[in-house]
Amino acid sequence: MELKSQKLSKEYFRFGKKTYSKKESIIGWSFLLPAVILGIIFIITPMVISLAYSFTDANLLRLDDVNFIGFDNFVRIFTKDALALKALGNSLFFTVVVVPLHLTISLGLALLLNWQKKFKTFLRWVFFSPVLLSLAVVSLLWINLFNPESGLINALLTMLGAERQGFLKDPDQAMICIILISAWAGAGYQMLIFLGAMKNIPASLYDAAKIDGANKMQEVFYITIPMLKNTMGFVLITMLIGAFRLIVQPMIMTGGGPVDSTVTVSLYIYRQGITFRDVGYSSAIAMIYTIIIATVALSLRAVFSKGEMD
Amino acid sequence: MKQNPSMNIKKRKKKVTPKRAVTATAKYGLFLVYGLISIFPTYWMVVNSFKSQQEIYADMDSLRTFLPTKYIADMFGSYVNLFNAFDLFGRAIFNSFFYATIIIILVLLVNSFAGYALARFRFPGSKVMMTIIILILIVPVETSVIPLYTILYRMGFLSTTGVLGPGLRVVAYIIPAIASPFYIFMFRQFFLSIPKELEEAAKIDGANRMQIYFRIIVPLSRVVFVTIAIFTFMGVWNDYLWPQLLFTDEKYFPLQVFLQQVNNHNPKDISMVMASLTISTIPIALVYIFGQKYITEGVAFTGLK
Repeated sequence: MELKSQKLSKEYFRFGKKTYSKKESIIGWSFLLPAVILGIIFIITPMVISLAYSFTDANLLRLDDVNFIGFDNFVRIFTKDALALKALGNSLFFTVVVVPLHLTISLGLALLLNWQKKFKTFLRWVFFSPVLLSLAVVSLLWINLFNPESGLINALLTMLGAERQGFLKDPDQAMICIILISAWAGAGYQMLIFLGAMKNIPASLYDAAKIDGANKMQEVFYITIPMLKNTMGFVLITMLIGAFRLIVQPMIMTGGGPVDSTVTVSLYIYRQGITFRDVGYSSAIAMIYTIIIATVALSLRAVFSKGEMD
Repeated sequence: MKQNPSMNIKKRKKKVTPKRAVTATAKYGLFLVYGLISIFPTYWMVVNSFKSQQEIYADMDSLRTFLPTKYIADMFGSYVNLFNAFDLFGRAIFNSFFYATIIIILVLLVNSFAGYALARFRFPGSKVMMTIIILILIVPVETSVIPLYTILYRMGFLSTTGVLGPGLRVVAYIIPAIASPFYIFMFRQFFLSIPKELEEAAKIDGANRMQIYFRIIVPLSRVVFVTIAIFTFMGVWNDYLWPQLLFTDEKYFPLQVFLQQVNNHNPKDISMVMASLTISTIPIALVYIFGQKYITEGVAFTGLK
């Protein structure tokens, strides 16, 4: 009896209220360690530093001389910087327009394809094909297609007898162009997610509905869409966050112009931090941005997974 | 004629009524219109990459612009010109493959270890670690780009004067790309589905944890390893924002960053631009074609969570 308890105390230890095996803890932590070290240095620290920088006047060129300036950066965002607010407005506009458009296209295509028998694989590849292009390729391709002087789209418009447009060079059209391009480039991916989820809906549900005399429309609205609730929640959250993060397309295609009509929050954070080297101010905007995204993500998650969280 | 009742339901549905004919027409009309919208830009990009700049512009005032080149013998002309005009274009392709390979190996190793630890071991901190991982997934990556840059600067990774010179930035590019909360989470979920009994048996035979991991866990988890390798490849290959900030020396540019050099070159040759964009898309298209099964599973997994 005495021997056994001695053995126990040697091989086990208490931490908090629980008892752990020493050996298991050591091996467990050694498997985890490389990821934890890298995560702390390259994921956690940047987040913490970003928060710390937002209260300072840190400059990229003199990172050894950083002064605490309280809430000055935050005051500047909301009172002295019209462009910051414009960037926020642009990002919101992009998000509010692109998400419904993107969702309609991807869900619509998935619904049409789910019961399709002829050419299903072919059509799926056709609709999916824009996803194969990287964001840089998408941007560089469309900047050429939308070129007002030598681009294909204006050539097609001329063929149809329509008027030539400025597209990305026109302050009223640039953001619309980026919205259309982004929905075009991304919809196929969500279509695939929806199709995958639709395949998992048990056929017995549809059979039961058929016996009850439901038509196709009723099947879609009373079975398919309700059964997609979880998937839809996930897709909506990723779409919203993804849309609010927009940066590569305006960075390559317009550089934020013309007349700042396509400056997004991400692009503005980047511009302040890298181009103007104002790391402190850039971090303050990044904090506001993080708060917006985290709030939206967490509240949507709560709405969509009432009582279903693991 | 089969007498199966469910077949009868289907048979009846197929009868052509005017209403059904209208819906079918509308459906195929929609397929045609959106199909064309989906495919024409990429199709135009590929078709025109085989034309010369003169032919592209000459064709553009008619629907000839969507037809293949008239000069079949010369169709690879813009590709040859591209590699001749930009000596570093081939190097950029190599760089992208090189970064992807190294990052894939390290991503698989480091994250699967962590996933294994969280799936199989009880130790102080294991629960907290899961919470931290979920929290990190919510914070947007862009906010970290600039602080990450300052950290790498502080750590001396951005110096251009050391032994490696500007090549040090290759290390600075690779190391932060390894640890991924999302992949750790994916590995953990997969490992949890493997029955513990298999490991217990090996333990009785005297295998240590490393042996168990490499001989039992890894072979049983091929699907998740391949899926994450594919996702990582696409992530690194398509990465643009971070490398364009980090790399200042053209020699180390990955392809996505180098594409801009081709597009912004003055005078611009549109056929070369289309050729460079086409080349950049080929590996991703191949990965999708050959890795379809794994990608569908990975997408389904992300869709579930």
